[in-house]
Amino acid sequence: MSYEPTIVAFLCNWCSYTGADLAGTSRMKYASNVRIIRVMCSGRVDPTFVLSAFKEGADGVLICGCHPGDCHYHEGNYKCLRRYHLLQKYFQQMGLDKDRLRLEWISASEGRQFAELVDSYTETVKNLGPCKMKQVIETLT
Amino acid sequence: MEEEKRIGVYVCWCGTNIAKMVDVVDVAKEIGKLPNVVIAKDYKYMCSDPGQELIIKDIKEHNLDRVVVSACSPRIHELTFRKALQNAGLNPYMFEMANIREQVSWVHTDRGEATRKAKSLVAAAVNRITWHESLDKRTVDINPATMIIGGGIAGISAALEIGNSGRKIFLIEKENKLGGHLAGVDLTFPYMYSADQILKPLIKQVTNNPNIEVFLNTQIDEVFGYVGNFETKITPGDGKEVELKFGNVIVASGLKPYDPGGIENYGYGKLPNVITSLEFEQMLKKGKIVTKEGAEPKNVAIIHCVGSRNKDYHEYCSRICCMTALKFSNQLRSALPDTNIFECYADIRSFGKGCEEFYAQTSRKDIMFLMFDQKNDLPRIRKAETMDECDMLIEFNELLSGEDIEVPADMVVLMVALEAQENARDIAHAVGVSMCGNEFYIERHPKLDPVATTTDGVYVVGGCQSPKDIPDSISQARAAAARILATINIGQVEVEVTTAVVNEDICCGCQTCVNVCPYTAISFDEEKGVSVVNEVLCKGCGTCGSTCPTGAIRSRHFTDKQILSQIEGLMSTSIELQEV
Repeated sequence: MSYEPTIVAFLCNWCSYTGADLAGTSRMKYASNVRIIRVMCSGRVDPTFVLSAFKEGADGVLICGCHPGDCHYHEGNYKCLRRYHLLQKYFQQMGLDKDRLRLEWISASEGRQFAELVDSYTETVKNLGPCKMKQVIETLT
Repeated sequence: MEEEKRIGVYVCWCGTNIAKMVDVVDVAKEIGKLPNVVIAKDYKYMCSDPGQELIIKDIKEHNLDRVVVSACSPRIHELTFRKALQNAGLNPYMFEMANIREQVSWVHTDRGEATRKAKSLVAAAVNRITWHESLDKRTVDINPATMIIGGGIAGISAALEIGNSGRKIFLIEKENKLGGHLAGVDLTFPYMYSADQILKPLIKQVTNNPNIEVFLNTQIDEVFGYVGNFETKITPGDGKEVELKFGNVIVASGLKPYDPGGIENYGYGKLPNVITSLEFEQMLKKGKIVTKEGAEPKNVAIIHCVGSRNKDYHEYCSRICCMTALKFSNQLRSALPDTNIFECYADIRSFGKGCEEFYAQTSRKDIMFLMFDQKNDLPRIRKAETMDECDMLIEFNELLSGEDIEVPADMVVLMVALEAQENARDIAHAVGVSMCGNEFYIERHPKLDPVATTTDGVYVVGGCQSPKDIPDSISQARAAAARILATINIGQVEVEVTTAVVNEDICCGCQTCVNVCPYTAISFDEEKGVSVVNEVLCKGCGTCGSTCPTGAIRSRHFTDKQILSQIEGLMSTSIELQEV
């Protein structure tokens, strides 16, 4: 069986989750590899959530928030952006490819952009191959 | 020992919407095997009355303490089901939804994969709900005053509806007079009522109503607070700062005409007798249709869809221009019986009551209708030669005849698109509403809730939501007014309880949370050496929760435990199922 990656996506309630819903109501089709978790704001995405997704076996993590300046909570997406850069540094130190984590801005009207993002990111993660983190942790413990 | 949880899971067919792409029976069967799941059922329409009854009955019969519904987006029916739980005597927060319609059945094409994904989403919801806790609804009193931003026909209508029922209105207008765009209109389509006769009595009623306080030359910078208790500071024309307190907000900030200078083909700004629809309206209002040279035009051409319905400008239809153009033809025909009138159109959109009839009547008034290709081949206007006996010539390929033609014109009226106000973004930030791609405000739900927004207590009406005609603007304005009067009548409103809370025992006093809170809802208690959340100011974004290094801050209903176990549930099934 060919490798199908699993991607955990954290979407903010106000822009990105609504954008993903719009992709649905517009009947746009995209890869079924993505599993969405709703948070109120991309600022709520704790680095622990990202790492725990990999620990549980995810091959990629996608975070989507409102465009800069459009955050429902004023600046939660900026907080998320800072954590994203830190996490990517951390990823490199851990030997994880930084492409396994992606942050994108999706507004409530960007259903098409969301569908395209899922497809292109699924391709990216597919090319990276399976993430070994879960296996490594299991061997170590 | 961990206390036993009793979870009921319901998988919705949504007719064929979900059932066609997801094997709902199989999902319910598999999920029924998970720990703590007491019953798992599939049903045709969970949101229907019998569907909700089913949940209520099961809660009582099987002593359920938590419910997962796997159906459409929680943005659509989360509240419906929370209410059902409440009716059965359960706390509404002991509920979780798995979105298997918008985010599964409608977007995937392989039934096997879609079913697998649905299972993992439902399993994640089951995992998450294990950690849900009862939250008590908090209610706050509503300040019965309402602030309305924008004094056009929409703002005026809403102000009168609320003001006439004895409630206070603060009506904020950025210009030096009320009336908005309607004040510049001569007659209105399709019945040719005078705009002045519609508008002037309404403005008089507003200024005479003791409940309505009008602030002219005033802009809104920032609005603080939450539904029921908003406040702002404004500086009206006289320069004295005024503090306003109100319970609800109506945004009726309108729209503005598109500047056609950007479309080179039309030569607006270079050819003096190419004018916009608004400039022509002013001419009609003054009662004198003349060219820049002061002569009566022998040939008038009206070009439709200027800046509308074309990807290079605005992709949407501005909705009112077709009817306005037909109105222009009628008025022109009455004023200048011998003038040639050309309607250069892309498609005529005569929606709405009386409009198609108006189109039919107009077409019998010796007016030439010529069709052009709006998407690929816009007409080109050029200065005519002396021998042409007209000021300008408009060239284009006429679609119905297939011929390349030249239309003579002494005056060209451009039916300009309507677009969002320049300060649309500022107002959006001030009151907390979202904008769609073309900067019109987004309503809470495009079909079920076209007046409210995702910010409680803030409503959008009139042209700021999308271009619309007078009756539509008024209907929307009065609908918002009715919604607000209903909440004022109850006197109280339920507010978000999913706020943050600090566990004082493990707070180390680093104050990181104090710095990241966008609402200054967290302060530092010097005496105890811990952070304290002001629950009235907290809006529940959860940024503090993900910043706290010790885990002392808990974002209610989005706790670390809930989300981490959701991730675990999501992944456990997806891996197990892949290995099968």
